[in-house]
Amino acid sequence: MSEQAILTPSLNENEILRVENLSMHFGGLKAVEKLSFSINEHEIFGLIGPNGAGKTTVFNCITQFYKPSEGRVLFLTKQGLTENLVGQKVHNIIRKGLVRTFQNVELVSELSLLDNVLVGGHIDFKSSGFSQALRLPKARKEEKAMREKAERVLNFMGIDHMKDALAGGQPYGVRKKVEMARTLMCEPKLIILDEPAAGLNDVETQQLAETIREVRDTYNCTILLVEHDMRLVMGICDRICAISFGKFLACDTPERIQRNSLVQEAYLGEKEG
Amino acid sequence: MGGCYLSTFLQLFLRSFETGAIYALATLGIIIVFRTNLVINFAQGVMGMFGAYIVTIIFMKTGMPLLLAILLGIVAAICIGIIVDFVVIRRTKKVGGSGKEIITLGMMMVFLGIAPMVFGVDPLRLPKIIETGAFTLDKANLSYNSLLNIVIGLSLTIGLFLLLQKTKLGLAIRTTASNERTARMLGIPTKKVTLFAWAFAMVLGTLSGVLIAPSTSVTVNLMDSIQVNAFIACVLGGFQTFYGPVIGAYILAIANNLLSYYVSSVWGTQILYLLVIIFIVIKPVGLIGKRVVKKV
Amino acid sequence: MKQDSIITKITKNTYLRFVLFGLIISMIPVLTGGGILKTSWLGIIGGTIIYTIAALGLNLLLGYSGLISLGTAGFMGLGAYISAYVTGNLGLPWEVGILAAVIIPVIFGILIGLASLRMEGLYLGIVTLCVAEVLRKTFDELEPLTGGFSGKSAEYPTLLGIFKLNQGTTFVLLCVVLVLMMILTYHLANGQLGRALNAMRGSNVAAQAMGVSLLKYRLIAFALATGYASLAGALYAHFVKFVYPSTWNLPLSLVILAIVVIGGLRSIYGTFIGALIVYALPDLVLKRIPIIGDINGLSYVFSGVLIILVVLFYPGGCVKVFSDVKLLLQKLFKRKVKKNV
Repeated sequence: MSEQAILTPSLNENEILRVENLSMHFGGLKAVEKLSFSINEHEIFGLIGPNGAGKTTVFNCITQFYKPSEGRVLFLTKQGLTENLVGQKVHNIIRKGLVRTFQNVELVSELSLLDNVLVGGHIDFKSSGFSQALRLPKARKEEKAMREKAERVLNFMGIDHMKDALAGGQPYGVRKKVEMARTLMCEPKLIILDEPAAGLNDVETQQLAETIREVRDTYNCTILLVEHDMRLVMGICDRICAISFGKFLACDTPERIQRNSLVQEAYLGEKEG
Repeated sequence: MGGCYLSTFLQLFLRSFETGAIYALATLGIIIVFRTNLVINFAQGVMGMFGAYIVTIIFMKTGMPLLLAILLGIVAAICIGIIVDFVVIRRTKKVGGSGKEIITLGMMMVFLGIAPMVFGVDPLRLPKIIETGAFTLDKANLSYNSLLNIVIGLSLTIGLFLLLQKTKLGLAIRTTASNERTARMLGIPTKKVTLFAWAFAMVLGTLSGVLIAPSTSVTVNLMDSIQVNAFIACVLGGFQTFYGPVIGAYILAIANNLLSYYVSSVWGTQILYLLVIIFIVIKPVGLIGKRVVKKV
Repeated sequence: MKQDSIITKITKNTYLRFVLFGLIISMIPVLTGGGILKTSWLGIIGGTIIYTIAALGLNLLLGYSGLISLGTAGFMGLGAYISAYVTGNLGLPWEVGILAAVIIPVIFGILIGLASLRMEGLYLGIVTLCVAEVLRKTFDELEPLTGGFSGKSAEYPTLLGIFKLNQGTTFVLLCVVLVLMMILTYHLANGQLGRALNAMRGSNVAAQAMGVSLLKYRLIAFALATGYASLAGALYAHFVKFVYPSTWNLPLSLVILAIVVIGGLRSIYGTFIGALIVYALPDLVLKRIPIIGDINGLSYVFSGVLIILVVLFYPGGCVKVFSDVKLLLQKLFKRKVKKNV
């Protein structure tokens, strides 16, 4: 490989994200080892693995909540550049067009649903602090426009009728929808969903599958799904990457992943879905 | 003359060791509560002040020997620590964020308010444990009392470490300090551990107050400088270990005295605090601190 | 359709509510002048206003960002001394004094914030304690600037170099500043900044994932808290007219903290209520009670116990009492209506 290729990050034609030789060591523990896979634009891509496989670690390494010990994460940003996300500050990742949800649904209980969604629009506020402090017309206009955008997004998720309700008292399913809505505010290129089906029943999981497809189609983005629930993953993913003990197993379409002997072996003894 | 400088330095060093020993006691009080309750007890200083007041009043009003008064004061301190744990701390399990620290600040106000109510506003005097006598070490002298303070400080510190490392109670404390929920699931009586921690912290605070009192007077502000230094010692040494802050306490005491003498008696302390802040910027986890990776 | 009465219209508009509030309080000099209220009320409520301003800043820090600062008193003192020095020793206009009194401590505060906010929030509490100690000692020692133990004097403000104020009109000025700061706080808390601070407090990780730089926003919150505190200190200097170093100690920082917690975190009116309860109530009521009133330290015990009770049992603070009572009355009213129908 020429030096040029190593120095300038480059992605292939359809790729939006490429994880290259990602490793994460916690002291002596190798949580992730030399993992590589790539995601194409507009795909719904799944990352699966048995419990403790390191899915969450991979995902935190991509979003820079952990700093990987080794490897690169190449991403085609909103601005059209190919960048290595490793080493970037966590709060700058969303500016590149990559946004995530949390398994624990991290909302602010004391804020309304609308305000929680507005947090997702944080980076799009352009008026200065001074202008906001004095509520100058420019700031007021911007706030109004952002509120309308947040309402539209809540409407898309079907919960705009409760926009002023406090997030604290809401049922789990509603909170998950709010979190999803929050990610849509910045019109992301890649949304990473952290176990979105956790805690949902069959009906809700079905709805979630439809929602994910709708989001991908309407917002023209790519979705990376880190998930346990096999039915969801097999049902909506275009391609799936399977890992075990932090190592790569296979990356393929759902049908072939299901037939892959390595994957089956890794899941032996694991309960399905 | 070289010998003169050396003996001054030696004198300063010995003095600092004494101050450091006293700081270390207060510091241990903070770190033991922090490691077991995960809360910075801002009331540590005033609780110690309160205990020192009790000792002073007992000593003054009953005329019994100082050591006995101190012993009774320690008993009182243990009782107060237990009361604080039962009445307040037990209920703080569900309090989130800075709530626990705010509660300790509330406790601080309560103690600050009760002290003048019970003990009056006039400064009181508490004598040294060993009134006179000193021994000299090459033109530097160290009073017997200072030596005693050093011994008390060191032995309590070492005693606590031995307790932590060698006894069943110590194991229970270390486990609770490491992870309270897991400790509980392992069958460790975490309630007793936290109770012990608060009582012990109160005793340590009282002792440090009693040891420093002879060099100043017993007032509401008795522990002010010790308190600040104890916190800084924890910041300096890192909140992750028990021994880190103790080392920090000694370093602070020595550095403070050296700076005050050789650089500026008025601004010495300020310069020290500034240096500590600069150090923290460079190494946020402290001297011995270990970086904790948060699970997301 | 029923037309809203004028009163309802005014109370529905947030800005008018603030102005109405300010107007009501500014009546106090009239009442004390006319003998309806004791003259001590002027000083006490004036103090309440000053404490409220400092507490509003701390509320932004603690209530929204969840960070504890124990340096409030130190920064208040800094603001007081700077303003007194600039107007007294340098002979510059009052407006310059206030500007200097706010800007200099804020710069100082930002530096401190940069140092201590890079790690856990707990460290801010400790570092501010440290800083407050340093400031207090400095106020004592730096005699040429601060007058040392004997204190420093200042004058009632002279607005625009022309209007010389007296105690009553200075009080009105305090009311005006309070209303302005309340409006400013309202703007900050309900816009992008407030949401970012809330997000930080509610969930560090979600805030970061949404693009909120923890360091930047903590710094902003801390700078604001410092600015509010130093403004309050400067106003103190020109209302009380004398600045002593012993005022700016840790118990004062605790009192401001108590105001925020007891009054209501994240509540603007709550902060004023908190100041009334923690500061005005002891002076106006408790001290008048025979026997108990004479006991030193009673107000601290009172505030300390209240803090603990509020945090444990009533986290919304005293301001929540109003909305809870309102809800209760609405429930009772609904039941009565149902019965009658």
